[in-house]
Amino acid sequence: MANIEIELEVNGRQEQVSVEPGKTLLHLLRENLGLTGAKDGCRSGDCGACVVIVDGRSVNSCMVLAPQAEGSSVMTVEGLAQGDELHPLQRAFAENWAFQCGFCTPGMLASCYALLEFNDNPTRDEIRAAIAGNFCRCTGYQAVVKAVEQAATELRVLKGGSRNA
Amino acid sequence: MKFPEFITATSLDQGLEIKRERGTEARVIAGGTDLILKMRDKVLSPSVLIDLRRASLDGVTLSGEYLGLGASLSVSGVIENADIAQMFPALAAACKEFAGPPIRNRATLAGNIVNASPAADLVPPMIAYDADIVLRSSAGERILPLAEFFVGPGQSVIEPDEILTEIRLPLTSAATAATFIKLGQRRSMTISQVNLATRLSLDEQGKVSTARIVLGAVAPVPMRAVAAEAMLTGEELSEELLGAAARKAREEAMPISDFRASRAYRLQMTEVLVRRALARIAHQGAG
Ligand SMILES: Cc1cc2nc3c(=O)[nH]c(=O)nc-3n(C[C@H](O)[C@H](O)[C@H](O)COP(=O)(O)OP(=O)(O)OC[C@H]3O[C@@H](n4cnc5c(N)ncnc54)[C@H](O)[C@@H]3O)c2cc1C
Ligand code: FES
Ligand code: FES
Repeated sequence: MANIEIELEVNGRQEQVSVEPGKTLLHLLRENLGLTGAKDGCRSGDCGACVVIVDGRSVNSCMVLAPQAEGSSVMTVEGLAQGDELHPLQRAFAENWAFQCGFCTPGMLASCYALLEFNDNPTRDEIRAAIAGNFCRCTGYQAVVKAVEQAATELRVLKGGSRNA
Repeated sequence: MKFPEFITATSLDQGLEIKRERGTEARVIAGGTDLILKMRDKVLSPSVLIDLRRASLDGVTLSGEYLGLGASLSVSGVIENADIAQMFPALAAACKEFAGPPIRNRATLAGNIVNASPAADLVPPMIAYDADIVLRSSAGERILPLAEFFVGPGQSVIEPDEILTEIRLPLTSAATAATFIKLGQRRSMTISQVNLATRLSLDEQGKVSTARIVLGAVAPVPMRAVAAEAMLTGEELSEELLGAAARKAREEAMPISDFRASRAYRLQMTEVLVRRALARIAHQGAG
């Protein structure tokens, strides 16, 4: 079947891709744009390895058809760092040993990033609720919770700082 | 497999026009969290998908008699709406126990209804609040109690040319309390083994004027335990009465055994959870 043209913004860049109409956003990102951060885990919305941010909200990219993302603004794990400088959330994950194999990490980071955009001072329960759709099979969740707490503190200081500057 | 044509409708009328021409061949895609899996498994093979996300069907409007929820409102949209949380807490509670945040950000009220799963979590609370639904076609609209919508698993009375546009929740009096309970294998990311919503309104004498006990995942469709409701109506609440109503609800349930739970377990839990739900709202003092 004929391909269709999709326009969307990914990590701040306007992209135009030609895809088979049944393709998911996950496979558009991985295969058409070479962004392999979001992982292909279950393809059924259950594991969270494919979570990215679409128009400011965390979504399972395996459960979005490419044409549903037409005109959207997408952010993947590749969009978090500024050049060589890791985002405070990424650094906090590394410093708190919040991953081992790392398969769940891109989706976990997307869910935590979306949380901190809505709530810059989440409780531990709020952090756990935010990652309820992200399964980690090797590290567990305690270190992730710690990392998000650390990142939240840092980001509040940064925000406060820029306000005073 | 031939993949369906995908049309992003810019208005409801455009969507209705496609439905008029193509009938069941055309399906609305809302969040896609049920539909994408059903297409992959070839349970559904539409030839056209109609995306209504640009048709502005996700508003929340307060009228004199009801709160109108746009059919495309997402589960997260319900949680974030202060009016719904305050007026219809059992629906807000069901939304908080639904899947996890990334699915909640996509999944919609209309999808949960039209998918017609017996285990749909949002349906029992909406029926408990006596929700009506608005079904539109290019010929006009009809308004129907949500409780009368379902026919069987995956089946409903929606016509091939109809689109669900709004859910109307009648405003309740202050002397009303309602609650939702979900039983699953985990706290999150799980389909209910049993779910239920109960609502009680009391009159000035402290007697029950309205009782709703709505059970999910224990029958081919979400069901009201009408005999149990009748036992409560007109009575004063007591521990014995709540226990008797819960036993009656268990008699009314007709669950099957499947990979999520056995029939025996579902029956037992129906009684336990109905009693727990009624006790919870009785103690909140419905009134
Ligand atoms: C990982 C995962 C977890 C889940 N967890 C839960 C859970 O905890 N509780 C629960 O109840 N469900 C759960 N579900 C099921 C699903 O998410 C819900 O049923 C959801 O509400 C469906 O909404 P949707 O917008 O995604 O519907 P879609 O998949 O877009 O559509 C579902 C059906 O409704 C039809 N439809 C949609 N909108 C309209 C309309 N306006 N008019 C006419 N027809 C329409 C579609 O054509 C389709 O047949 C889960 C699903 C997944 C993948
Ligand atoms: S790959 Fe999308 S949730 Fe598992
Ligand atoms: S780090 Fe391996 S699954 Fe989470």
